[in-house]
Amino acid sequence: MHLFCCACFLGATAFTTPLAGSVASGRLPQQRDTTRADSAARARADSLRLVRELEALGRDTAAAPRALGTGQAGPTNPRFLPDISAIGEFIGDFTSGRSTQESGRRLDIREVELAVQAAVDPYFRADIILGLSDEEGIAIEESYLTAIRLPLGLQGRLGRFHMPIGKQNTIHRAELLGAIEYPHVIQRFLGPEGGKGTGVSLSGILSPFGFYQEVQATVVDGLGEVDEDLLAEEESNAKASGLGYSLRFRNYVDLAESSNLEISGSFATSRRAQPLVCLCPSIDGFNAVNARQSIVGADVTLRWRPLQQGLYRSFLLQAEFLRQLNERSPAVGNLPQNISYGGPTRGFSGAYLFARYQVGRRTFLGARGDWLEDPDADGEALRAGSVYLQFFPSEFSKFVLGFERLSPGVGQSVSRLLLQGTFSVGPHRPHPF
Amino acid sequence: MHLVSVALFLTAALAPAAPAGSDPVRASLKVVTSTTDLADLARAVGGTRVEVVHISEGYQDPHFVEAKPSFILRLRDADVFAFVGLDLEVGWMSLLVDGSRNPRIRPGARGYLDVSRAIPVLDVPSGQVDRSQGDVHPLGNPHYWLDPGNARLIARLFAERFAELDHEGADAYQRNRRAFEDRLSAAEREWADAREKIRGKPIVAWHTSWRYFASYSGANIVGFMEPKPGVPPSPSHLAGLILTMQRTGARVIVMEPFYQRKMADFVASKTGATVLILPPSVGGVRGVDDYIALMRHNLATLAAAIP
Repeated sequence: MHLFCCACFLGATAFTTPLAGSVASGRLPQQRDTTRADSAARARADSLRLVRELEALGRDTAAAPRALGTGQAGPTNPRFLPDISAIGEFIGDFTSGRSTQESGRRLDIREVELAVQAAVDPYFRADIILGLSDEEGIAIEESYLTAIRLPLGLQGRLGRFHMPIGKQNTIHRAELLGAIEYPHVIQRFLGPEGGKGTGVSLSGILSPFGFYQEVQATVVDGLGEVDEDLLAEEESNAKASGLGYSLRFRNYVDLAESSNLEISGSFATSRRAQPLVCLCPSIDGFNAVNARQSIVGADVTLRWRPLQQGLYRSFLLQAEFLRQLNERSPAVGNLPQNISYGGPTRGFSGAYLFARYQVGRRTFLGARGDWLEDPDADGEALRAGSVYLQFFPSEFSKFVLGFERLSPGVGQSVSRLLLQGTFSVGPHRPHPF
Repeated sequence: MHLVSVALFLTAALAPAAPAGSDPVRASLKVVTSTTDLADLARAVGGTRVEVVHISEGYQDPHFVEAKPSFILRLRDADVFAFVGLDLEVGWMSLLVDGSRNPRIRPGARGYLDVSRAIPVLDVPSGQVDRSQGDVHPLGNPHYWLDPGNARLIARLFAERFAELDHEGADAYQRNRRAFEDRLSAAEREWADAREKIRGKPIVAWHTSWRYFASYSGANIVGFMEPKPGVPPSPSHLAGLILTMQRTGARVIVMEPFYQRKMADFVASKTGATVLILPPSVGGVRGVDDYIALMRHNLATLAAAIP
């Protein structure tokens, strides 16, 4: 551009200088003297030399190979439209006796996720994910700003998001890699649709030893699903100590070109409303007390995917252990003698082991074993084993046939047969690794 | 306290040896590329002034790269991230760029280098585009590096961008770029006979990734193994393809090393064709270690296979 401007200027100078000289000489021929004639001659000579240089420059440019910029021109998204996508999830429940779905239906659209994603400005990106279902209507599944230019290489989030507790909880249910539902330990400890929180998250990358380490710290309004029937004397988040806090430490290492290992630990704590038990008809407007509940966990994921045959073969082995710690005797204040604490007074543990093997370009086999000291069954052991057959017609559609044998802590064992179909339309951000 | 001890133990247990590589002290620019081809061209232009690493390997399908956290470490300190563009890396790139927390390589920054912006792109679809057409690339065919004319454009783009970011090296980058183009021109004279033999000959390709190579070599692609981009062959499609090959006399099926060749062997058995596994990128097969070697290998192999 600069060269072009310079050339135009020089060209204009070359052609206008002789003309100016002749005009001047036409007006004042009688004043013409030797000095002026010499000056005009020099100017003409300079101009001719410049013209020749420009012509030479032009020849060089013409002789040069193709210039840059012959490709696309203009933006690909001139109207700043955000990426809009949707994921539909069909579920079929053919369990003998009755459906085990929350809706009670045999065939259902469990949820539709609508995602709107775009850069907000040079500093933030926004992700808004709405969940639509017959049971919940429209719900804000996630909605967060991601700050991408924080100092010290930090990255922050503000809004509602999946809590970084454990591994599978960070993935949307419809996009789970291997199964149709979250492992039982996640469903019981964090919620059937995983644990989310509304607040602030900050993460930083460390690599003092040459491999990837990440620390994620989060402060949210509270952890776990709120039981709206429970009313405590004060809100659980009335004090800063009642908010939810979590910390996750990820360690990722490439074992070889085709295999890698991730070992992570998580800790989360908050105060939650727990029931009071009373022999009387009611307790002066409240029936709960806030008690501290914490979760500590560890997860490990081993992946194998040979690069050259990666379209057809892969293997994943994942295990996760979570322990829920409960405050055993929270202060219940000055309550009558006949009122006592009715919440959990012990810790509960749970774990799962999941494996998935790719048998073809579009077909995967998976299996999962679950074990849980069920808080809803006073710690009685829940055990489950499940197998899955997954078929991906493309990246954007998936069908999963699953069979689960479930032995709950209380009650009879049940065999569940589930069919899931998910489909995605529109530009969707890649799934987290 | 126990948690801290466990974390420290894991950290020490997982620590690998210090990675080997080029001397980062001497390099003026750290360049990360999405593919091996861009990496080789960046090295050719940057010489000793740049330290270059790449994300995908030459024998791997570049559409399906896992966004491994170790790649985030590569991008974290990069001055330039050069990628093919045209949505080739759409399945993984944003996770890595966002995860790197590196403002130098974010969209709009000088280090965010969409190489496709310098390329005359083929196969830009017109009219309605949707996924019923398979893994169609709405911005055009992204496999443009398999045309040496485009390699020259890429080298020039690198020379310009590297000079913008490292003014002191501007002369060196231009010198290296000219040297690369001279080597490429000499190689083109060397393989002119191979191109002459290939010109106009009918071939079949597995994927649309060979369109630029065909355009350069003169080969006439009369059909694809995939019925639509990214969609595995169906029996009915193969039946039609066999008829097409018999009608046109195509005797070569070109495919990448990361596809299973069973279907191609089946078609070859019905048509008498030869299945050629050609590397689509530098490092795709043993011995193909730079861009010129890649083009030389592919042209010579195809020319030898054409009857």
